[in-house]
Amino acid sequence: MQIAQAGGWPGETIRPTQRRQGWTGQGLKRERRLGYVFVAPMLLFLFGIIFFPLAHAFWTSLYREAGVNIRFVGPGNYARLLDDPTFWNSLRVSVVFTAVCVALHLIVGMPAALFLDQLRRGRTALRLLFLTPWMVTPVIGATAWVWLLEPHFGVVNYLFRSLGLIAAYKIWLGEPGLALGSIITVDVWRGFPFVMLILLAGLQTVPREEYEAASIDGAGALQRFLYITLPHLRYLLVVATTLDVINTVRTFDIVAVMTRGGPINATEVLPVLIFNTAFQANRFGPAAAVGVVLLLLLLVFSTLYILLLQPERTWARVR
Amino acid sequence: MKDRKTIPLDTARLRLSRRAVLRGMVGTAATGLALIGAPVRIARAAPITLQYQTANLTEAQYAPVWKEMFAKFEAQNPNIKIEPILVARKDHWTKFVTAAKANQAPDVVAVDIATAAYNGYLRPLDDLWQAEPASYRQVWSQDVIRAAMWKGKLYGLPSWGGIYGEIYNKEIVRRAGLDTNKPPATWKDYLEWAKKLTKEGQQWALAILAGKTDTTTRMLLMWIWSNGGEAFDPDITQATFASNPKALEAIEFYLNLDLTHRVGAPGAVNINYLEQTTLFAQEKIATMRNAYWGVAKVVGDNPAIKDKIAVAFSPMNTDKKVTLATMAADSISKDCRHVEAAWKFIKFVNEREWAIKRITVSNWMPMRNDIAGDPEASKDPLLAQFLEYGRYARAYPLPNPLWADIAANDIVATVQSVLLKRASVKDAFAKLDADLNRKFKEL
Repeated sequence: MQIAQAGGWPGETIRPTQRRQGWTGQGLKRERRLGYVFVAPMLLFLFGIIFFPLAHAFWTSLYREAGVNIRFVGPGNYARLLDDPTFWNSLRVSVVFTAVCVALHLIVGMPAALFLDQLRRGRTALRLLFLTPWMVTPVIGATAWVWLLEPHFGVVNYLFRSLGLIAAYKIWLGEPGLALGSIITVDVWRGFPFVMLILLAGLQTVPREEYEAASIDGAGALQRFLYITLPHLRYLLVVATTLDVINTVRTFDIVAVMTRGGPINATEVLPVLIFNTAFQANRFGPAAAVGVVLLLLLLVFSTLYILLLQPERTWARVR
Repeated sequence: MKDRKTIPLDTARLRLSRRAVLRGMVGTAATGLALIGAPVRIARAAPITLQYQTANLTEAQYAPVWKEMFAKFEAQNPNIKIEPILVARKDHWTKFVTAAKANQAPDVVAVDIATAAYNGYLRPLDDLWQAEPASYRQVWSQDVIRAAMWKGKLYGLPSWGGIYGEIYNKEIVRRAGLDTNKPPATWKDYLEWAKKLTKEGQQWALAILAGKTDTTTRMLLMWIWSNGGEAFDPDITQATFASNPKALEAIEFYLNLDLTHRVGAPGAVNINYLEQTTLFAQEKIATMRNAYWGVAKVVGDNPAIKDKIAVAFSPMNTDKKVTLATMAADSISKDCRHVEAAWKFIKFVNEREWAIKRITVSNWMPMRNDIAGDPEASKDPLLAQFLEYGRYARAYPLPNPLWADIAANDIVATVQSVLLKRASVKDAFAKLDADLNRKFKEL
């Protein structure tokens, strides 16, 4: 049996036995050692910026501070979280915020992608236009929204009232329900282009012949979407959703700028709770414990994402 | 075409090339280390750089003063450079804590002394202070110095502050048919004025501050004190918002200005110093309780308002006059490696010349006790009034290591829950008392 040599010259072949000998020889041991030397700087770098901070965060979560006095409490900070209504409130807010935002990213991103895919002229310009919110730094975008939503002289109140949509000016960031709705709106404005971009890439790979054949068979637009487009996008939809969940659940900047978690903690998502606990309350141990819990939540979705990236082994089963 | 796989490996050449690569790596590393080391050596010979962080360096009204002050200090001390850490007021504490946790705190800072000292972020100044002659130390009153102490140790040199008063827009007052020369002195009069100064949907008497910063707490404390109430016991170990009847009565009166009488601008839970002064500058509110610096802020926002401003003592519901005075003190952080230079700088920025400039240009009130009679400082009648109010002022922040947290979070959340009608005043503040007392106990 002959196996094609990847990266070799055209027609070049190699026997498996030859390859196996090469991989176990003395020369290879040296190669491997040298390989470790070459990757060592990057491993050290990754250790410094990922593994060490993670380990340090976990270590911090086992301590409780009272001024300069620091004492080891083991899992005490985690146990306290279970009894802390603030933590449960933040977890609930995070779940609602993430679920609604991700759903809306898809609901807005899908039609936007379909629209761009249909366009024959001006597609590039419109694509850039749609991507603009995603390109704007979140803090700057959120600051602009704070002024747009300002209750006394903000543009949103003025427009809505002029159009007869509201009877009196609304305190968009001052009422718990409206505040959560406002930050969700801003996150959707900022986040839908990401989903749109992934889906647009997928749409451009759908064979046009399938649409033509379906049209000839009398399929309408909805049927073409349901039976051709969606099946082709199924894998990308799951990947986009998983990535979007990972992105959204760690949202900090928009909330920090717009509400700081208020009013009465109605918008205090977990990352904002970590910030408030660590830097305002000076309780770094409990803050690190919340951080570890958030990391575990993210790991669940990250694992799912990694599994999804192995289509031969996993995705085939899903299908 | 030659088959690449059949080319015999020239192992000797390969080894040589590996050696060459390794040599190259070692050489590069050595060069890198040399390059990294070079600036260190240069830095050792370079002038001392002191980082300076306060809450107000980014504020326009202070910029001309500190820029001139730093330039003059550097001219007098060519071996010391001052590096201002520019950070917005609302992020000032966070930035400081982050740096302090990384053992990189700026050398000289003005922060909440009790919280920072309790957490070990500051260096005690007693040795430096005691080494100064008595004539120098007498420039600060004992009360002022005590306010910069924690557990008997001095952690800052009181520099500037703000004494609170009631600031009115004379034109709106006149339009409402009220006498600008007879501002309300009692709560009852104030409520009458407030109703007349409010035109629903267009203009309001005041802004209730309930945004997520400690200015919300400042207002609440002033109202409580103006009724002879207390929010805490003298040692700040027990919260008494609900258990002190006078405190509870004051809180109800203050929050009912919004809930019942509707004389406060809508959106109180989003309003802090910035929003309050903006509303006043835009003539959306007729009065604002603020310090002298608030006048500079609104005039900066709307110069046309300058001649419309009048100041009065805040209305009281008790015979004993009281207001609030914030205090900022310059401290040396635990991470400062040039303590002598830092102390020299602190003394310089607190010289009489700069205290007067801070008053006349930036509207920050002095903490030195030798300014009151200064002809330059007493030119401005508004300033003279604020200085007079200083006689009745109680120091803020309160000396408790949890203050930065409870003033900006717990108390604010409680005020918000009442304004958003999630709880009654009594229930909300009883819960606050219980929560704070539990936190105090854990200290």
